[in-house]
Parts: sequence; structure tokens; C-alpha cells
Amino acid sequence: MKRFVIGLTALGLLAAACGRDAAGPAEQATDVDLNKASGEVTVWAMGAEGEALGAFAKEFEAANPGVTVKVTPLGWDVAHDKITAAIAGNATPDVSMLGSTWMGEMAKTGALEPTPGNLIDRAAFFPGAWATGEVDGTAYGVPWYVETRAFYYRTDLAEKAGVQAPATWDEVTSFVQALKDRAGAGLGVEQNFKQGSWQEVAPLVWQAGGDIAADGKWTLDTPEMVTALTHYASFFKDGLAATDQPTGAFPQTFVKGEVGAFYSGPWMISTMEKEGGDGFAEKFAVAPYPKGSAGGTSLIGGSNMVVFKNARNREAAWKFLQWLTDPKVQAKWFGQVAALPSVQAAWQEPALTADERVKVFGEQLKDARSAPAVPTWEQVAKVMETEIEKLALGKQTAQEAAKAMQAQAEAIGTGA
Amino acid sequence: MTRRMWTYAGLAAGLVLVVFPFGWTLLASFKPEGEIRRDPPTLLPEQWTLGNYAGLFERTQMDAAFFNSAVVALAAVAGNLLFCSMVGYAFAKLRFRGRNVLFALVLVQLMVPAIVVMIPQFVLIAKFGLVNTFLGIILPTIVTPLGIFLMRQFMADIPDELLHAARVDGAREFRIFFQIVLPLCKPALATLGLITFFTSWNAFIWPAVVAQSEDMYTLPVALAIFSNAQATQYGLLIAGAVVVVAPILVLFLFLQRYFVQSTTFTGLK
Repeated sequence: MKRFVIGLTALGLLAAACGRDAAGPAEQATDVDLNKASGEVTVWAMGAEGEALGAFAKEFEAANPGVTVKVTPLGWDVAHDKITAAIAGNATPDVSMLGSTWMGEMAKTGALEPTPGNLIDRAAFFPGAWATGEVDGTAYGVPWYVETRAFYYRTDLAEKAGVQAPATWDEVTSFVQALKDRAGAGLGVEQNFKQGSWQEVAPLVWQAGGDIAADGKWTLDTPEMVTALTHYASFFKDGLAATDQPTGAFPQTFVKGEVGAFYSGPWMISTMEKEGGDGFAEKFAVAPYPKGSAGGTSLIGGSNMVVFKNARNREAAWKFLQWLTDPKVQAKWFGQVAALPSVQAAWQEPALTADERVKVFGEQLKDARSAPAVPTWEQVAKVMETEIEKLALGKQTAQEAAKAMQAQAEAIGTGA
Repeated sequence: MTRRMWTYAGLAAGLVLVVFPFGWTLLASFKPEGEIRRDPPTLLPEQWTLGNYAGLFERTQMDAAFFNSAVVALAAVAGNLLFCSMVGYAFAKLRFRGRNVLFALVLVQLMVPAIVVMIPQFVLIAKFGLVNTFLGIILPTIVTPLGIFLMRQFMADIPDELLHAARVDGAREFRIFFQIVLPLCKPALATLGLITFFTSWNAFIWPAVVAQSEDMYTLPVALAIFSNAQATQYGLLIAGAVVVVAPILVLFLFLQRYFVQSTTFTGLK
């Protein structure tokens, strides 16, 4: 299936490239006159957000007579293919939610409209979030909600082992060791080494002072990358992270105390509370990423909202996006689906300052970067995942993994 | 005697293997979300609930999706029965220039994965202005190469003498087709109908791409909203799976004989 999707993407790009002019290097945005906003705005949105957005948008409709918002929810499984096809067939909606890692690829098709500067203020957003929508110097759409990764751990086990949340790489190792030796967390730390494992490694690369891509080239075989991979692999090698657990054993292993810590995004707060049942909420906490030699940068993800060039009601569409990124609306939206605001001011709202764990993510977001916004990113991420798995299973060294990633990534290119 | 017992024991073991996952799914659909993922897993629900089904119908337009799926599947069945048998008849019994080349082209299509032609096909449908319509979802599946192949192979075994006799009696080609050939093809038609129904009922990616508003979603597309990278709602998905499978189970009960035949046909012919 994965290979099909990649093939599809290539096909879609090809079709799009044939069908329209490719976007120039510095596409200019046109201002939007909000007084003209009227008509129906069709919106595609995925998953839980897609389900909830229709009802949420009623408030916008009430405040803007003459504008209606029609939301079509999509499954995440099909969203990428569906949007690619819609672009190729010139059958796009007015507005769509896009995964932030898709921005490079979708912007290159030339179907997205650049963000009008008279309406949206880039300074209002987290810089890392804004960067996800910036392709070749032009911004497309707006960041809608963000996710970042941080360090989850069992507070009760840490207390039992007599250790504090780790602040540096070295401390993580001793922290996990202590949980294992003194608090019975036999499986140590949960480190994903399968699908999505690049998300575990990317922050480590930045924390070691390296990069994934720079100046339009892949930089996957650098001493910093090797340092990051070595650190990641050391947990598996030292028996502080397991590779023999059946799929789906986590998060129950965390609830049972076999796993003492893991890195993940904000959605895990509610997942863990649900999985753990009554009283479990008191037993775990979130800490910022432990720092490497170059800092504690995390990975930022999330979703953006874009307007298509074919939008029938362009003014109303942009007005809707402006509304969605209003700090008060963002805070309210967090209350509905727990999606973290991409707008910094929203984090002052009471809804976001109530939970300590949520606040940690707010702090971490100030130091978070996005995956490279290039059309071939998803393919290179797959390459990384394959090599990371071999590394985690002890089938190759960090040096070999870095070399293999770089060679394959170069063959794929950056799609520029 | 003992030998027969062993046979039955083997069959029983096989039956358990096949039925267990489905039985588990059915039981799980009555469990609350937390219990589905509990470790160690439970077989019988500790707490019976209809919450998953209630949630399913409350949160999606399941009734509309059910209707859409039925329309799409039945139209695909009707189209395949009529057109595949017509084309199959031409390939099997009529002599015309380029017949073998054309048939080879049909066979080639069998070997091209559907996903490869999806984007161009979508562009075509979009140019016809059929995006987000029933016709757009149905049209590409209305004649399938597999169906043509199946019908041609079956019709090739019908004796030519029968058709000659009809011609001698003055019957036109259409009459021969509808009154002589089609009635003889009942087993093949039943097979084709069933295969088409399943494929269409389970089809996911094409309806998902063509249907652009929720009221046009078919069942699998509507259910996919619940699967999420971070927080898949298993209770709703499992209840949905049961709803999707139910009509097929009912069909199976009535048409068991043809099911068995359909597998032998596709294997041998």
C-alpha cells in the first residue's frame, strides 16, 4: 500500500505538472477584500477535527450572515489520495486541512493560494508552525493546530526510584536505568522503531546540532546524525528499550508500569487517561525534551488550513481561516478536540493554562522545528524508518544507517 | 469410522479458526471502548453495551451511507451482468476482425492495478462533470475485464449448433443472446453478480475520492472517518464493520451454492 501511495503521489504530481504552470520561486499573494465575503465555503477536514468542525463553524456563520460553511469530514487514510486526485482533476474544495508534512508537495502542484499578508499576521504563530507552510519563500495557508513531542514519564515510578525528570541526554539514560533497576519498569523507555520512527530521531538530530536537510540537500550522513542515531540506539543496546513487544502492547505497558517513559505528542494525555482508568492521570507527567549538546529542539507537526486557487468564494474562505486562527477561537477549539493552538496568544487563555502537562507542550513549541517542506519528504521519511528499524534491531551500526539513509535520500532527491 | 472422525475434527478446528475472528469482532462490538483494548483481552463482554452502535448512527450519516452503498453495488451488478455478458458473447461466439487483439487488450487490463489508473480516471470523471455523483462512482466499475473474461470463458462452452439452430429458425442476434444464451449462463451470471457485489460493497479508495460531500459517502468511506493516526475509535470501527458485513452474511445464507461455485469458476476457468 505504501508503495502504491508513493507511486500515486508521483503520478499526481506529474498530472498536476502537465496540467498547469508550476509555481514560480516567489509567488506573490493578492490581498483579500473581506467586505466581499459571501456564499458557501466548502471545507475538507480529517479525523476528529473533521467530525467536529461542522458544528463548531456555526458560530462563524452566525457572525457572518450570507456566509455558510460546509464541512466534509474525511478519513486520514484516504485524505492524501483524495486531495491529490482533486488537484489533478481540478475538483478541489475551497478550503482543506492538510497535514503539515504535505505542504511542500501540495504547494508544488501550484493549486494552493499564497497567504494574503493583509489578513494573516505570521508573527502571531509559532515560528516552527509557520515554517511548515512556507515553501520556497512563499507562505501557503495558515497553521491551524500544532503538535509537538515531549517526554512522558511515570511520576510514581520516578519517586520510587528517587530520580527527577531528566534534563539532558546523559540524565535520560540514568533516569531510565533507575526506573528499571529500582522501580520495576523492566522495559525501560518506549522508543518507536517502526512506522513513524523518524519522529523519534529527528529531534535528536537537531539536539545534536545537525540537520535533516540544508540548502536544498539532504544532510543525513553527518557526525551529528551519527551521534543522534547512536544515542537512540544505545537504549536498545543497553536493554533500556524493547524490540520484542507485540504491536499494540504499548500504551498498556506504560499503564502497567513495565514501560516507565516515552516520547510523544499531546494527544497521549487523554489517551493515557482513558487507557489507565481512574486515578491514572495522577501517575504520569510531561517534561520538555532532555537537551543534547545543541539544545532541546523538538519536532513540530499538526495541520494547516489552505485555500485553493480554484476557490469559488475566495474572500469568504480566507475570512473563515482568519476566524479559525483568532486566539479566542483557537482556545475554544482546544476545548472541543484538544488540538493545540498554533497561535501563540491563545496560550494565555484559561483553557490552556489549566493543565500543567499541556503547559509543557506550550513551552516546548517555542523550541520546535518542522520536517523539511519538500515534495519528496514522505518518501525520505520511509527510507529513514527502514534504516532506523535495522539499527534498532542491531542489524547495522549508526554509521551504516546514516550512510544508507543519505544514499537513498540523494537518489530520491528533494523534488526541487 | 475413525478416519471420518478425524476428518470432522480437522474441519471443526478449521471452522473455529475461521469463525473465531468474526465471533470476536461481533462480541467486541458490544464492549465499551476501554474493554476492547484491555490486556489481557476478554472474550465475552463484561459490560454489554449498545453504545458503539448508537454512537455510530449518531455520529455519521450511516443510513445515507447504507443507501448509497446499496445503490452503487446494485448498479454495478446490473451493469456487469448486462454488459459483460454482451461483450463476452461477442468474444466467444461472433467472428469479426481484430477479435483476438481486442480480447488481448481486455486481458491486459486485468493485469494493470486499479490504483495506477485512478488519477487519470478521476481527471476524466471530473471533465465529464461527474465528481460527487452516483454516476461518477459507478461508471468506472460498470464493465470489468474480469467479468468479460468470466463470461467469455463460460459462453465458449455453449455448443455452436444451438445458436445455428436458432439462426435457422430466423432469430436475430439479440434474441439469440437474450433467449438462448443468457438463460444458459445462469451459474456464471450468479457468480459474476456476487463477485461484483462484494467488490463494489467493499470498494474504498475510488468512492472515497469521487464522493466529495458526506451525503455521497458509501459505508467503507464513512467508517474511515473514525480511523485516526493517533486515536482510532475501535468501538465505532468494529460496530461499523459488523454493519458492513451483515448484508453479505445474509446474502451468503441464501446463495451459499453459488458462492462455492464462484470460487471453482474463478479458479478453473
